[in-house]
This record gives sequence, C-alpha cells and structure tokens, in this order.
Amino acid sequence: MKLKEVDRTAMQAWSPAQNHPIYLATGTSAQQLDATFSTNASLEIFELDLSDPSLDMKSCATFSSSHRYHKLIWGPYKMDSKGDVSGVLIAGGENGNIILYDPSKIIAGDKEVVIAQNDKHTGPVRALDVNIFQTNLVASGANESEIYIWDLNNFATPMTPGAKTQPPEDISCIAWNRQVQHILASASPSGRATVWDLRKNEPIIKVSDHSNRMHCSGLAWHPDIATQMVLASEDDRLPVIQMWDLRFASSPLRVLENHARGILAIAWSMADPELLLSCGKDAKILCSNPNTGEVLYELPTNTQWCFDIQWCPRNPAVLSAASFDGRISVYSIMGGSTDGLRQKQVDKLSSSFGNLDPFGTGQPLPPLQIPQQTAQHSIVLPLKKPPKWIRRPVGASFSFGGKLVTFENVRMPSHQGAEQQQQQHHVFISQVVTEKEFLSRSDQLQQAVQSQGFINYCQKKIDASQTEFEKNVWSFLKVNFEDDSRGKYLELLGYRKEDLGKKALKDSDQVAQSDGEESPAAEEQLLGEHIKEEKEESEFLPSSGGTFNISVSGDIDGLITQALLTGNFESAVDLCLHDNRMADAIILAIAGGQELLARTQKKYFAKSQSKITRLITAVVMKNWKEIVESCDLKNWREALAAVLTYAKPDEFSALCDLLGTRLENEGDSPLQTQACLCYICAGNVEKLVACWTKAQDGSHPLSLQDLIEKVVILRKAVQLTQAMDTSTVGVLLAAKMSQYANLLAAQGSIAAALAFLPDNTNQPNIVQLRDRLCRAQGEPVAGHESPKIPYEKQQLPKGRPGPVGHHQMPRVQTQQYYPHVRIAPTVTTWSNKTPTALPSHPPAASPSDTQGENPPPPGFIMHGNVNPNAAGQLPTSPGHMHTQVPPYPQPQPYQPAQPYPFGTGGSAMYRPQQPVAPPTSNAYPNTPYISSASSYSGQSQLYAAQHQASSPTSSPATSFPPPPSSGASFQHGGPGAPPSSSAYALPPGTTGTLPAASELPASQRTENHSVQDQAPMLEGPQNGWNDPPALNRVPKKKKMPENFMPPVPITSPIMNPLGDPQSQMLQQQPSPPIPLSSQSSFPQPHLSGGQPFHGIQQPLGQTGMPPSFSKPNIEGAPGAPIGNTFQHVQSLPTKKITKKPIPDEHLILKTTFEDLIQRCLSSATDPQTKRKLDDASKRLEFLYDKLREQTLSPTITSGLHSIARSIETRNYSEGLTMHTHIVSTSNFSETSAFMPVLKVVLTQANKLGV
Amino acid sequence: MVSVINTVDTSHEDMIHDAQMDYYGTRLATCSSDRSVKIFDVRNGGQILIADLRGHEGPVWQVAWAHPMYGNILASCSYDRKVIIWREENGTWEKSHEHAGHDSSVNSVCWAPHDYGLILACGSSDGAISLLMYTGEGQWEVKKINNAHTIGCNAVSWAPAVVPGSLIDQPSGQKPNYIKRFASGGCDNLIKLWKEEEDGQWKEEQKLEAHSDWVRDVAWAPSIGLPTSTIASCSQDGRVFIWTCDDASGNTWSPKLLHKFNDVVWHVSWSITANILAVSGGDNKVTLWKESVDGQWVCISDVNKGQGSVSASVTEGQQNEQ
Repeated sequence: MKLKEVDRTAMQAWSPAQNHPIYLATGTSAQQLDATFSTNASLEIFELDLSDPSLDMKSCATFSSSHRYHKLIWGPYKMDSKGDVSGVLIAGGENGNIILYDPSKIIAGDKEVVIAQNDKHTGPVRALDVNIFQTNLVASGANESEIYIWDLNNFATPMTPGAKTQPPEDISCIAWNRQVQHILASASPSGRATVWDLRKNEPIIKVSDHSNRMHCSGLAWHPDIATQMVLASEDDRLPVIQMWDLRFASSPLRVLENHARGILAIAWSMADPELLLSCGKDAKILCSNPNTGEVLYELPTNTQWCFDIQWCPRNPAVLSAASFDGRISVYSIMGGSTDGLRQKQVDKLSSSFGNLDPFGTGQPLPPLQIPQQTAQHSIVLPLKKPPKWIRRPVGASFSFGGKLVTFENVRMPSHQGAEQQQQQHHVFISQVVTEKEFLSRSDQLQQAVQSQGFINYCQKKIDASQTEFEKNVWSFLKVNFEDDSRGKYLELLGYRKEDLGKKALKDSDQVAQSDGEESPAAEEQLLGEHIKEEKEESEFLPSSGGTFNISVSGDIDGLITQALLTGNFESAVDLCLHDNRMADAIILAIAGGQELLARTQKKYFAKSQSKITRLITAVVMKNWKEIVESCDLKNWREALAAVLTYAKPDEFSALCDLLGTRLENEGDSPLQTQACLCYICAGNVEKLVACWTKAQDGSHPLSLQDLIEKVVILRKAVQLTQAMDTSTVGVLLAAKMSQYANLLAAQGSIAAALAFLPDNTNQPNIVQLRDRLCRAQGEPVAGHESPKIPYEKQQLPKGRPGPVGHHQMPRVQTQQYYPHVRIAPTVTTWSNKTPTALPSHPPAASPSDTQGENPPPPGFIMHGNVNPNAAGQLPTSPGHMHTQVPPYPQPQPYQPAQPYPFGTGGSAMYRPQQPVAPPTSNAYPNTPYISSASSYSGQSQLYAAQHQASSPTSSPATSFPPPPSSGASFQHGGPGAPPSSSAYALPPGTTGTLPAASELPASQRTENHSVQDQAPMLEGPQNGWNDPPALNRVPKKKKMPENFMPPVPITSPIMNPLGDPQSQMLQQQPSPPIPLSSQSSFPQPHLSGGQPFHGIQQPLGQTGMPPSFSKPNIEGAPGAPIGNTFQHVQSLPTKKITKKPIPDEHLILKTTFEDLIQRCLSSATDPQTKRKLDDASKRLEFLYDKLREQTLSPTITSGLHSIARSIETRNYSEGLTMHTHIVSTSNFSETSAFMPVLKVVLTQANKLGV
Repeated sequence: MVSVINTVDTSHEDMIHDAQMDYYGTRLATCSSDRSVKIFDVRNGGQILIADLRGHEGPVWQVAWAHPMYGNILASCSYDRKVIIWREENGTWEKSHEHAGHDSSVNSVCWAPHDYGLILACGSSDGAISLLMYTGEGQWEVKKINNAHTIGCNAVSWAPAVVPGSLIDQPSGQKPNYIKRFASGGCDNLIKLWKEEEDGQWKEEQKLEAHSDWVRDVAWAPSIGLPTSTIASCSQDGRVFIWTCDDASGNTWSPKLLHKFNDVVWHVSWSITANILAVSGGDNKVTLWKESVDGQWVCISDVNKGQGSVSASVTEGQQNEQ
C-alpha cells in the first residue's frame, strides 16, 4: 500500500535505523532527466510522518547542489545512541567525486553542509556502502575497476581492497558482508562478482556463472548467513536473481526467475532475511523469499520502471522506490486499504471544483464518486508470509488469582535448516505473591474468625497499636465481645460508675461550679447523685416512722396542705411551683398522675435556668437526640457516655450514629476519626467503613487490611449482640470487602478471599466475585459446566440467523442479569387436588421483597439463591435439610396424612433433578439449567432440597415421607418464605391459600388470629429457625435484654406509667407476630389436602385484630429488616385514620410514583407482577406518610425528586442508580420502609418498558 | 515471589504468540504460528487439552476470552486477515463467527468490558480498527475506524467500564452511562485513544506521543476505584511508558518512562489489581514492575523461565509505607 509520494527523479537514502524521526534524503539523479530537462540539482530531506494520512511527504530541507548523483547513502557515522546527530550523507557524483554532507546541517538550513569531498575516482561513482560494524568505513566503486575504502576519520587518502581486477570494468555494486566485517563484495555489469578480504588485501573468490549474460545490477549479502549473497541481472535475456553460497561457488544455490525483464535494483531486508525486494524493467516490484524463491508480494505500481529501491532501516514494513516517471513512492508491505486516501483525494477534487460547472456545460457536476471497481482494487493484500518482525516471540499476561502466564520462544535460528530444531513450546503458569505481610495479617484475622477468639485478637491488636487512636478503636471493638459492654464503653470513655459515686459525695459542691453546659463532670456527678439519692431514699423510707404535723395555716404550706387534703393535686403542685418548691411539686405531681407529672416537669424545666438543665431535661424526657444533636462536639465523649448510659437498645444505635455523623461532618480531622468510635458503638459497619475510608488512604493493601480487620471484628460483634441480619451489606462495605477479597485473590489466596467475602449478600460485585473465586479454586463443579451463576447466559447462536437465536442479547444492560428464577413464578400451576404439583410457590417471586431491606440489585441474582435469609442460616454445610434445621415439632392441627411435604418444600420443588412429576417439569421448562445452578456451593440448602424432593417425587401417589423428613421440608418452606413474599406467591382466591393479612378482606384476618392462638405452642421452635429475619431487633445479648431499662433513679418512676412499648408488647403477647404470620402460609397444604382447619373455615366470627397484634407491629421493631416490611403491611389500616396533606412541593412524588405504578399495572400481564405492584402501591403509603410528616431528610427528598424526574423521562436505570445512591447514603431506618418497594417499582417499570 | 505452579506443554508446532487464561483462571488458551488455537483445562496444576481449534490460515497472533456471562467465547485473530469467534456449545468448541473485514493481518483483539455487551475491538495491519458488536440472532454489527494507525495497528485495549470515581461520587441526576473508550497502538509510533460519540461513531480523542518506534502493545489498567486512568505502552524502541490521566475529562495524559530496555518490548500486562505490570521483551525476559511510594517504577522480579523472586528492598519499602 502506497503511503507517500514525492515527485522527484532522484536517488534516495533513508536515515539510519537509530534516527528518529525517519527521514528520506533524495538527490537529483544523474542518469535521468526529469520532464523539464532541467539540469539543476538538489539534495532534499523529507520526513516520513505516518501520523499524517495524506500522501504528501513533509519536506524538511532543500539544498541546491551543483552535483547530480548516481548513488546516495546515509551512514550512521558519529551518531550517538539517541540518534541526535544525524549521521553522514554520502553521495556518489558524476565526475568521480564522493561528497560527504551533514544532514543535520541541511535540515538546519545551513549554507555549509559539505563535510568533505574527494574526486579521486574515475567516472561516475555508482556504488557505495557503509560497513555496518565500523561505520567510519565506506566502500566505493566506479569505473576502471576502481574500489576505494574510505575512512571517514581520515577522508583524504582511501585504501584499496587489493589489486584492481582485470580486465577493467565498471563497478556497479559494492557491499560489505553483514556478518564478517572485513569481507567486501563488488560486482559489475559485465557479470562477475568479486569477494575481497581486506585483511588479506586481495580478492578471495570470484563468482560468476558461465552464461555470460549476468549483467549485475544488484548485489546483496545475506543478512544472517555470512557466506550467502544474491546477484541480480539486468539483462532481459536472463532476468534472474542468483543466490550464491560461497562455499559452493561453482553454481548458484538458487535462481529466482520471477521477473520477465531485466532487474534494475534489489534490496534485502535487514529485519527479515526472507524478504528480498527487486524491481525490474517489467515494471514490477516484487518481494520474494530468496531462500525459497517464492514470491511473497507484488507491490501495486504503475507501469513505470523503478531504478532504485530501498528498505527503510527503522520501519521494517516501509520501503521506497524511485521510478523513471519522476516519482519516489513510499510503500508499506503490510497491505491495507487505500480507500481512505482515495476518498481524501476525491474530497480534495470535489472541494476544488465544488459542484460548479467548470466546463461550462450548463450542468452542475454530479458529486464525484469512486467507481466500485476502484474500491475493490484499492485493497492491497499483505505479504503471503508474516514478516518476522510481527511474530511475537514472548509474552506474559496476568490472570485471576495472581497468576502469571508466560511463554517464550527461543529466537528463530538464522538459517532455515535449524528451524526444524526441536523447540519446546511451553507455557508457564506462575503464582505471583508480592504482599507477604498483608497475607500473614489476613491469615491471622481469618484464624481469629474461625476460632472465635475475638477478645484475644483484639487484645493483641491493642498491644500492638502504635497510636492512641488505634488502641481506642481496638479497645472499643474488644468491648463488644465482653459482658456489660456499655459499662465497659463508659470506662473506655473515662467514666466509672463507682468512682463517680464516690466523687459525687466528695465534691458535690463542684457541681454547681462547673461551667460547660454538659460538662462531663457535671453530668456524671449528677448521675452519681441520682444513685446516691436513690440509695438514701431507699434507706430513709422504711425508717420514716416518726410523727409529723399537718399544718393548715394560711401560708403556702397551709394552702398546700389544704389542697392535698382535698385531693387537689393540681393546685398543690401549682402552689409548690409558685413557691419554687420544685422538689415538692414533682413529688406531688407523681402522686397526681401521669398528666400532671408531665405538665409539672414541663413547667419546671421552663422555669429552671440552671446550666445543666438541658442535660436533666434530656435525662428526664429521654430526649437524647437533643443532647446528641446539640452538644458541643468537643464533648462528644460525654454525649456518647450519656447515650451509653441511658439510651434504649432500639434508639441506641441511631443515637451513636447521629453523634458519629456529626463528628464526621466536622472538618477537624481528630474529631472525624473519633466518629469511628461512635460507629463502633452503634455497630454501624457501613458508616465505619465510610468514615475510615475518608480518614485513611485505603488504597494500599495494608491500610485496607487495617480497615478490614476492624470491620470483620465489628460485624462479628454486631452479629453477636444485635443479631443483625448479616445480609445487610452496604454498598460501601461490599466495595471494600470485594476489594479486599480481590487483593487476596491477586496474591493467590483464593480460599481466604472466599472466606472473607460476606457470604450472604446480593451486592453484585460480591456475588460476582464469589462465583469467580469458587470457580477459580478449581473445585469440580457438580453437574456439568454450563451454568454461569451470576449471569444470565447470553445465547450466541451460530453464524447464520436461525430459530436458535431465541435469546436475544438485550441492549439494555440492566436486564441482562435477570435470572430465570424471576420468570418462573409467573407460572402458577399448582392445584390443591394434586399435592405433588405444588411447586410454584416461589419464595423468590420477588427477591426484593423477600430480602426485606436489602433488595438485590437488579443484576446478579444467583439462580439458586432463592432465599438469602435461609442461605444465611445454612451457609456452608451441605447435607439434608432435616439434619441442619432444628426439628420442628408438629403442631397438632398440622399433623398431616397428606403427601404435602414436597409441596411445602417450596424451593425444593421447582428444581427437581429428574423431572419426574409432569406438572413440575411443565412449569419449569428450564429446570435442568436451574438444577445445575443450585449445585453451586453455598447453595447447600437447595442442593439438599433436591435430594429431598426427588425421592418422594418418584412415587408421589404411594410413598408419603416419614414425619421427620416432612418436618424438614416443612421448615424449609418456613424460612424459605418470609411472610411478605408468601403473600405474593399465592394465587388469591384459591382454596387453601392464605395471603398475608393486608391482602385479605378484613373479615378473613381471623385467620391470623387463629394462628396466633397457637403461638405459645410454637414459640420455642420458632426462635430456633426464624431468628435472624424476624427477631433480629430483639437483642440477644444478656446485658442488653429487650426490656433494657436505663438506670433507675429518675426515669423509672416516670417511665413506668408510660410503659415501654416493647416490654409491654412482650408481656401482652407471648410471641412476636412476625413468625406467626409467616406461619400462616403453612397451613395451605393441609387444607388443600382436605384437612379441615378451623381458622379458615370458621366464617368470620372474630373480626378485627386484637390491639396487641397490630400495635407491636408498628412500634415493635423499627428498622428491623424483615419486620419492617411486614409490619408495614400490617399497619396500613391503622395509618389511614388521620392524615395531613402532603406538602405541595412533594405531591409530585406521589403522583409520579402512583402514575408509574398504574402504567406498570396496565402493561403487566402476569398476576404475579400485578400483585407485586398492587402491594407496592400500598406500601408506598409509608413514604407518603413520611412526606406528610416531613420527617425525611432533605437529601432523601431531593433524591426522590431526582428519581421522579428520571421516571418522567422514562430513564429507569438512572432512577435505579439514584435509588442506590440514596440507599447507600441515607440512614437505614429512615428509608427502609419504602425504598425497597420503590426499587421494585422502578425495576418493574424498566422491565416492562412503560 | 514468583513460582511456577504449572508448566503446560502445548504441543504447538511453531511459535506461540499468545497465552491467555479465562475469567476464572482455570482454562488456558494459546495460539501459534502453526495456525491453531488450543484450549487447556489447567485446574489444579493439570493440563487437559479441551480443544484444538483449526480454522485460521495463518499464524494466530492473539486470543481473547469474553466475559463468562456470554458463555464460553474466545476470539482469535490471525495473519490471515480474519477474526474468528469460537464458542463452546454442549462441551464442544466450534467456530461461531468469522470476521473477514480487514485487508491485512489482524494483530490484536480485545473484548470490551462486559457491561457494554459483547463488543470486540480488532486492530489490523491495514491500519484500521474494527468493532464487532453482537446484536443478537447471531448477527454482528461492524463499525470500522479506517486509517487509525498508518501501516498498522498493533494493539487495542479497552478502558475499564467503571468511570473512575463514579462509584460513590456520582452526582445525582447524572447519567450513569459509561463512556466507551479504548486505546490503540500502532506502527505510526502513536497511542491513540478512541471514544464513542453519542451518535455511536468512534472518534479519536487523544494522540499520545512519546515512543520513537512502533508501539507494540498498550494495556489500559483495570480500574481500582481511583479517579486516575492508567495506560501502559511498550514499543519497538525498547521503552515502556506509564500514562496517567487524573482529570475527569480525560484530556491530559502524562507519560512516565518505566524503563528503557535494550530490545523491543512486545507485551505489557496489568495484574487484576492494577498494581503490577508484567513486561515481556525481545530478550525473552519477563519482568514485573511496581510503583514505589515515591512514584518510581521498580522492577520487583525477573521472571526467567517462570522462576524469580521479588526483591527484598521493595517488600520492605511497602512495610515502610505503613
């Protein structure tokens, strides 16, 4: 393919290989006259600029010369390795002169560019060559057999290689050997080539065949083999290239007869000895392999002969050819399309002529077009054989798991014979480990986790801590695993209850003096006083048996007495207050009842101006938010201490969080880092990660290790103390954990990486990584290779379009990952008459619902991961269900005689290994796929379920599973179907189904009630199997029982009448409602089997729910992942009673969301989706309520508005992104009630494309 | 520390030109001048030949695994001007698609980040880069960038899909749409960065100039969540450059010379965590490089026939970073 052209009739020389950029020097040719018959001569230098796509060469310099040239070469003499000095240009002139030019000076535009000149030769100097070993040596040849060797260091007096050959002849070519520096060859048109040994100073061999028709126009040594050379003949009768080996000099080794007429020039590539260029009078430029004679390439040329041809030394694919039509063309032998160039030319033409009428024809010219033919011809094929320089001999690539794949090929031996030499074509796979300390620390952490030796681990960390802060952090973490964690926290903050008690006694007067509103001393001493007072009270009360006077005089005392005697507490209190007898007033108010007490307190605080009032207010009113929100951040310790002391479990975390957030937002970096401590107390892993990341540079493996150590320990602590649902892995944490696991994997510790990945989350990056790790481990995957767990497999049909291509690759990326499972639930084929066909009860109907607060992102839902909660309970150990789950006592009414078990074994049913039961296989055509997916490790419960399911399925009619196994599957249905999802899964109206309460007409809710009646009986086992999802907000830790009471003194008398809703609830209702209602989904199989169940059949005798049922649902467990969604469903009816209007500015949210749901509903086809949407619509009420109350933070509302906007533009994926953003940045409990459902709606909308 | 854990005798009959592991690191694909592509199962240190793929009529230069979400797919490119997309179906590998849109040797193939769909970039000696996009139904749509690199394109490498810094700091309301970018290196000594315009056309975004000879390979570093983009390039001139760009617009790239070798450098490859660069050169040596705390690139290992060790000084340096 032609790259460049210059219109010159000239000899040419490329700049040496060292030179960058690449130059081409041209010197006016002495032999040919150009079209103008001008006798002027010039030396020009052009730059080869390949980044310029045009055909023009960039002219760098022109030097008007008095000479014309027969030969031009560019030697690297005196060139340094950087190529800064541009060597020397050596020209052979017409009159026996050799001229040395300095190309750098030519380029610089100097006048004095000639370095030296010598005209010792006779006649034109046609042959020149530079010794490649000693670049100061130049050989030249001219008429009369003259050969000179010039030393550029001493240019005046040349040497001769020996005596002149006889008879005298013109020397047309001369060439230094490429391997041996003292060997030189010359050739003449008369046909002979002579090889000279400069050490011997004589010709050592003469090469000639006996045809007498070899008219040598070209001579070239083999680039690699010292004894081989080629000679080209100009004679039309013998247009050949002879390859000679001097060892066998009697006849040519090989003769290349590819040209039809005489050859004018040859050039042997230094980069690849298999490429020899030749151009001849047949107007061809050929590239052949002189070792085989094969023509590899024919350059597309015009019909003109070329008289000079040169490889570019630096760019091995480039050559230049000078032709008699007065043009030097630069070609690439790599082929390529010239379409672009031609198009450019056409454009140029077009733009020059425009569409005007240059020829006066009266017709505007049609736009210029390239004929189709030209386009075809413009494609230039490359060499038949790949040139050596593009054959990559070596490589090294990293792959997953810190593996390095390397290969190398021993360098191609230079002569062909050696190619057969046995080569080992090996590829090496190596393990690269660079972070040893990181690995060992990770190992320690892993051991600590495995051995549960958290306290020891933390202690070690404390001991090893370099900084005070680090020590603090680890101390805080350690406390999590100890008894009385709050107390210990307090100690860490510098407060010891006992000490304070003593201190208070001693320095009670200091209390008054202390300034700072919530100064630590004040607060804590106050605390101490309370304790003391209480003690005193308790001491004094029993002994107060003395007599006293009841005065009814007219003074205040008397009035109070009168009021008291008449039972008029209110007046008495007023009087006391009036008289500033605060203590009396409060005491009386207590006796006067709740209302009065509250009023009195208020009045008291309004009146009291003491500096610690706010603290007292907070303590009494339990308004810790006030403290935390408004305290001076310098007093964060004290605020935290107060929270630790007083806050109830359900608000404790939030308060710590709040404090932490305040600290974090403070620009001051010391305070910022302290926020970490707050988050540790709060057990808020996500925020800890965020805060830590902000404060530390987390990019280095070891600093990431620092973070992960803390996070892992904290998570363990949180799991222990708060029974947190482990599936709540925030975005940030997920990112860090996957980063960490990635690092481990990159060091080859794949097993460790797997161990540290949170095992129960649907964060896409984690799911993805786990899949990758599992497979990288090389564990044989059960079943066959086909399933790609985290990805929906994209079908890629064979070449032709055909019926195979039923899986079209969706363009919308967010949809690509939807697993098949999501589709399955739409097929609801079960009927109560065929218990074996119950499978369609799909816990995974709506993953975002089943997972409560942590809806999976739309992508990467594991096929098998039907229920993450269940998965969390049974994380790794494979085996059968009934071996893992605590045996579930069969409640009386459930005692089954029906073969329901595999029906209830919900998820088990729709991935049977052998599709024996027809209904099952019909419902799930893709069953094999799923079943193999479920064999994925970590999905053990499904795996187990398979086995379990398969046996009964094989003989459904006869063999009923024995009680234990039925119990097991029963349980499986339980945890596998959290309450809210069960509602979706069941087709409404079918006999025996029991939708969740919200979906039932109120009258049917008796069902719930009746089930609830059985609660006491079920209580024990429920705790066993249903812990994490349902009871997760009920702290398990012994020091923080659910009815945790803050320290007694003030609060207890005040608090008791108000009651702790939670404890109250627990008193009134022996069992939390959530498991109950999840229970409610169980009876269906029995019912379907015909067993009468009074709960349903009983026609609506008991209507409504007992208050104890609904109320705790609302208040019981704020922020509890599962409880919340459920509770919400339950609480809807009560919420509808009084409602403020939604503020105008937020009304758009409601209308947008509702409108979207309506749109989805109208285009949704399957009942499943419709139900989901219906429910979403209801649940969004929660959001509207929050809007009404204006309790949402501005960031959330603005985020919601963004979502609304993206809904309006139908850009749901953007909405989802915003959604993720909100969820990841906002307070969990604030958004948990409505964000998941909003996500469902968005996802649906995206899916339906409404 | 670099230790050989598996030596695979490929039984190729000629030079090996590329060897790539799949996404999971369990299968190895190799290609050779013997015109074949081979796939080995190399789990647990073993080597089981899974497939010996014949179909190319010239030396096969490179192979590239597609992301597994699209199935088991391997692309190969050859001197025969063709790109073949191979696919495993029911345990058998076969040719799924053949792209013959180039006029010269196809030197490099690279799959786009899976987030974009199934897109393959191919760089050819004809100077063009073509982009094959799977459009479903067995159809591939081709976009071609003509004259991307005069004389030829030697390497293509996609930018990671995660736009740096976008994970968390994405301003609200901004489109999460990725900007598709890739880098190419060619015989015009240039590295070029290409960007897909909104109309779907590919446009040259940047020209990175530092090499004085053919750019043999470019490798865009995987994103590790930092707001910096990094590209490694190596050249015939023996130099390896690390290019970094800190600004969000992606316009200011600055080169840093990693090392000047005495011979052509053929290949650069980033570790998955983007902190180590493997450099393989004409002297048949593989070296591993890591950026030290002060921003200098340090050779941490000489991998000679897979043997090597990480020099102690750097490891200590890392500890000092703490």
